Amino acid sequence: MAVTQIAPAPLFAWPSRQRVVSAVLMIATLVAIGVYAPNFFRYHNIINVLLQVSLLGLLAIGMTVVMIVGGIDLSLPANTAMGAVLGALYMKATGDWAVGALIMIAAGLLIGLVNGFAVARLKMIPFVVTLATMTVVSGASVWVTNSLSISQLPDTFIDFFDARPLLGVPVTVLVVAVLAGLVAMLMRSSVAGRWAYAVGINDRAARVARIPIGRVILASYVFSGLMAGLTAILLTARLGSASANMGNDGVVLDIVSACVVGGVSIYGGSGRVPGALFGALLITILSNAMNLIGVSYYLSLIVKGAVIIAFVAIDGRKETKR
Amino acid sequence: MTARGKTSDFPLQHGFFVVFAIIFIFFSLATQHFFQLDNILNIFSAMDPLAITASGLALVVMSGRLDISVGSTAFLSCAIGALLMNQGELNPVLAAIIVVCCGALLGAVNGFIVVVLKVNSLIATLSTMIAYRGMALALTDALLVQLPPPIRFLGNTRLGPIPLDIFVMLVVLVLVHLLQTKTAFGRQIMAMGNDIAVARKVGLPVDRIGFFSFVLAGALASVGGILTTIQNGAVSPFLGSGLEFTALAVVVVGGISLLGGRGAILFSIIPGAFIFEMIRDGLTNLGADPYSYRLIGGAVIFAAMYADALKSGRYSMRRRL
Amino acid sequence: MNAQQTSLRMEGISKAFAGIAALRGASLEARGGEATAVMGANGAGKSTLMNILGGVVASDRGRIVLDGAETVIRSPRQAAQQGVAFVHQELTMLPTLTVAENIFIDSLPSSGPFIRTREMARQSEALLARLGCSIPPETRVEQLSIGDQQLIEIARALRHKAKVIIFDEPTSSLTGPERQRLFNVIRGLKTDGVVIIYITHFLDEIFSICERVTVMRNGETVWSSPISEVDPAKVVHLMLGVAENEGRIRAPIEAVGEPLIAVTGLRRDGVLRDVDFEIRSGEIVGLWGLLGSGRTELLRALVGLDPIDGGTISWRDGRTLAPIAPERLHAHVGMITEDRRGEGVHLPLSISDNIALPNLKSLLNKWRLIDRGRQNALADAMIDRLKIKASGREQIVATLSGGNQQKVVFGKWLATSPRLFLLDEPTRGLDISAKTEIMRLVVELAEQGCSVLLVSSELQELMRVCDRYLIISRGRLIDELPGSAGASALMGSIAMIDNDLEVAS
Repeated sequence: MAVTQIAPAPLFAWPSRQRVVSAVLMIATLVAIGVYAPNFFRYHNIINVLLQVSLLGLLAIGMTVVMIVGGIDLSLPANTAMGAVLGALYMKATGDWAVGALIMIAAGLLIGLVNGFAVARLKMIPFVVTLATMTVVSGASVWVTNSLSISQLPDTFIDFFDARPLLGVPVTVLVVAVLAGLVAMLMRSSVAGRWAYAVGINDRAARVARIPIGRVILASYVFSGLMAGLTAILLTARLGSASANMGNDGVVLDIVSACVVGGVSIYGGSGRVPGALFGALLITILSNAMNLIGVSYYLSLIVKGAVIIAFVAIDGRKETKR
Repeated sequence: MTARGKTSDFPLQHGFFVVFAIIFIFFSLATQHFFQLDNILNIFSAMDPLAITASGLALVVMSGRLDISVGSTAFLSCAIGALLMNQGELNPVLAAIIVVCCGALLGAVNGFIVVVLKVNSLIATLSTMIAYRGMALALTDALLVQLPPPIRFLGNTRLGPIPLDIFVMLVVLVLVHLLQTKTAFGRQIMAMGNDIAVARKVGLPVDRIGFFSFVLAGALASVGGILTTIQNGAVSPFLGSGLEFTALAVVVVGGISLLGGRGAILFSIIPGAFIFEMIRDGLTNLGADPYSYRLIGGAVIFAAMYADALKSGRYSMRRRL
Repeated sequence: MNAQQTSLRMEGISKAFAGIAALRGASLEARGGEATAVMGANGAGKSTLMNILGGVVASDRGRIVLDGAETVIRSPRQAAQQGVAFVHQELTMLPTLTVAENIFIDSLPSSGPFIRTREMARQSEALLARLGCSIPPETRVEQLSIGDQQLIEIARALRHKAKVIIFDEPTSSLTGPERQRLFNVIRGLKTDGVVIIYITHFLDEIFSICERVTVMRNGETVWSSPISEVDPAKVVHLMLGVAENEGRIRAPIEAVGEPLIAVTGLRRDGVLRDVDFEIRSGEIVGLWGLLGSGRTELLRALVGLDPIDGGTISWRDGRTLAPIAPERLHAHVGMITEDRRGEGVHLPLSISDNIALPNLKSLLNKWRLIDRGRQNALADAMIDRLKIKASGREQIVATLSGGNQQKVVFGKWLATSPRLFLLDEPTRGLDISAKTEIMRLVVELAEQGCSVLLVSSELQELMRVCDRYLIISRGRLIDELPGSAGASALMGSIAMIDNDLEVAS
């Protein structure tokens, strides 16, 4: 052929640019901790950090899948709180923790379905839809609980998830680790996973390639609802109580920052589960470190906001979608 | 085609007023206190901060973007003003000016991130929403900041039977309305909201227009914040929390499309804000659980957004034909 | 040189994109009070030439002389200042604004802070009156038809005191009466002494509205004369060039047997009307028509990428020919759209991932996961079979040349073993050897029993492979010709001037 040029390696520089920045950020944070707050590395604190990472990571996995397909789900924390509250109320009333846990999952799935339906079928804007469900759902959970936290849950429920069967590692961490591995594999190697990337990269081309776009979008929100439900179970067990306050604004920020720091593009089509977990780790350590160094929680919000903006700004793509 | 379009659009175009009337009549019949001049004036007075903030947000929405940091902008700028008055013993008028400047500055930061760094406006303002709130909470230690005694009771001022802040709202809204409908800047915002690529092609300075729409949104949010502060006599750590969403809802319920380029300030914001305040007031009069308000308000919003998506879908379809 | 007579001259204009020449010393001459048609097939360079005149792109060489003075045009804004207006096919209307606002949007007349609405309305009315149109200036543009919107666009040009107005495909979405009205407007502009440059694919139009014609081919101006010196067949010949005898790849066959697909009464309002045809197994059918004739729309409608408003598609499944919904038909068809980079491939993915995409369900292992080994084998087989030049199956598709990208698109579909291929401009933007490779591949597919419906702007290309031709014009199939038909018959078939044939509206 006349114009055959065998191009060298792939030319997409941006994931590596983000990766470099996030690696530098991680190292800088760890060094700062080593110097200013060596207490961080104590066993108990590390387990504690791992627990936080797992719960944030679980929500970040849900968000990652939605973002890969090209959407966003701001209702995740509110969704978690709603499930937790409903399940906890049931448990407290009946003492049946298994059904209570199922209720948490079901609530998550249902809200995810509503989001997915609104985006995929009613063609509403994902950001706005999930902002709306976030408000409605968190309003509902405040209403249901009268803003009080629901405690005195069945001991078996708490014991089950609070157990540390393996080298002192809590069940929660193990569950999330296994799940993350599973989802990572499915995103890489299942038909649905490939479809998700294809729709996120270019939905027109995906349509020509016979991919059922609507179903893929719907499924991504249902999946993130599932993750919210799972988080509800694990978080409730860990705290020993459920409250509407589980889903405050700050959590959304944490999830979105975990994803963008972990290389998940808000413009869709790129990102991986391990990356999002790394992002969750970095964000948790960052919060933890700021806390140990004595930076107030409020100031740490500013840092996280700046991190998100910086990472989205270096994402090579321009503003194309809302 | 025009005739057919009109009949099929009827429920969408006028649905809002039907719903409005039903709710209004319901509350009037169901409670004793609702349908009284005093109560109606109260509703108007209570909705002022929301309406003013929403008018600023509306400008950004009309330009085809979103700003969900307005609530936090109001909080941060008012917190700064209140602290300056308390600790620096600043003159209240000067403090108010500084508050509005702060609001404009925070809006300018948003504008910079969106226009220069080219970060999607949703993500940008989601981040600043939480960052601004964090800043304000850090400044106030998350405590209530009381206004100095002389102006603490300014919120009760009335002009005859009518609370003063209603006039403030009307003046501000009329000014923003004139800006949007009668000035070149306002029309160019609308042009940009129609299609930013076309606006650029036609030769409009879309970056500058976009930047200033954020600046105005920030300044107006801080004006709304000042009214809230005066009404409460203090800056509470919850000032503006959730306001971004209610303001967005007011914009949409009032008929300003989230896809940009459509609507007018005065005739959208006033009924939009009134309906929300009316629901809150009516529920209180009914003796309903105050927490139920968010849920019912949210449901109204969802319906309004769905109607908007539907309407916009039809418009775009018509445009293609 | 009579400067008063000649209003616009473009001389020796050259332009290359990424080293590939789009224009080679092209020229254009147009006079005030006349309409000059610029004709050319796809890729002939007429859009580039017009974009240079409109300031959208800069030329590498050459000069533009406007009213006897050499002019530099570097941006659309400068073009407007120099009096050159471009009425694009895609209108630059702002639908929610009023007519007057749309006309004046880039410099709204203000006194103090406020727009002088009444003054603006008055001036708009005057401008529209010049176009013989009485739309109230406060009407919102979204309430107007496309034809009316176009007039607003022209009014905007007039406000800039345009001396030259370029019309790019102005009639492609107009109804019959709207078209006549536009022609009247153009006649009016001509009497005002405006230079009209008229680009269209509809041959009949240039003979009713233009005084001069310029024909371009391969980046050069090959003909320029008063319209009276040519006839439609001559223009088509000039546009397409002498059909170079590259030789047929396969002699036309007469397909026999039952049809694989039969379409009756297919209709999409405003786009397609009364489309009936059949394709048999192993047959390559050329869908021959000019751009805008509805050929792309027909292909897209068949597989449900665009909606249809009526008609039946029947598909042979086993022995019987049964009706099938377009979305279902999509599952049996290899669809190659004209937008290779936007719809054909996923640019950031590897060759292997792209080829696997429509075939995922056949690559599953016993765990219902995609088997990497089988995916790799499939990709390697396709790279080998299609001779895709790449460093390996993991190369990112965005970094491949156009021809190799197109082969990846073929690879995607080949693996699904479709019985019908719908090909829309499969060789667009490819060099000659890549074109030949793709055409050989098309024949190979047919030899294996696949049916092909092929759209191409290049007649020579169709003539190398087609067994039969369907002629499409204004959304209708107007004729059918055998594979043995010669170039002049094919050109003649679309050069028929037929004013009755309007797109259904």
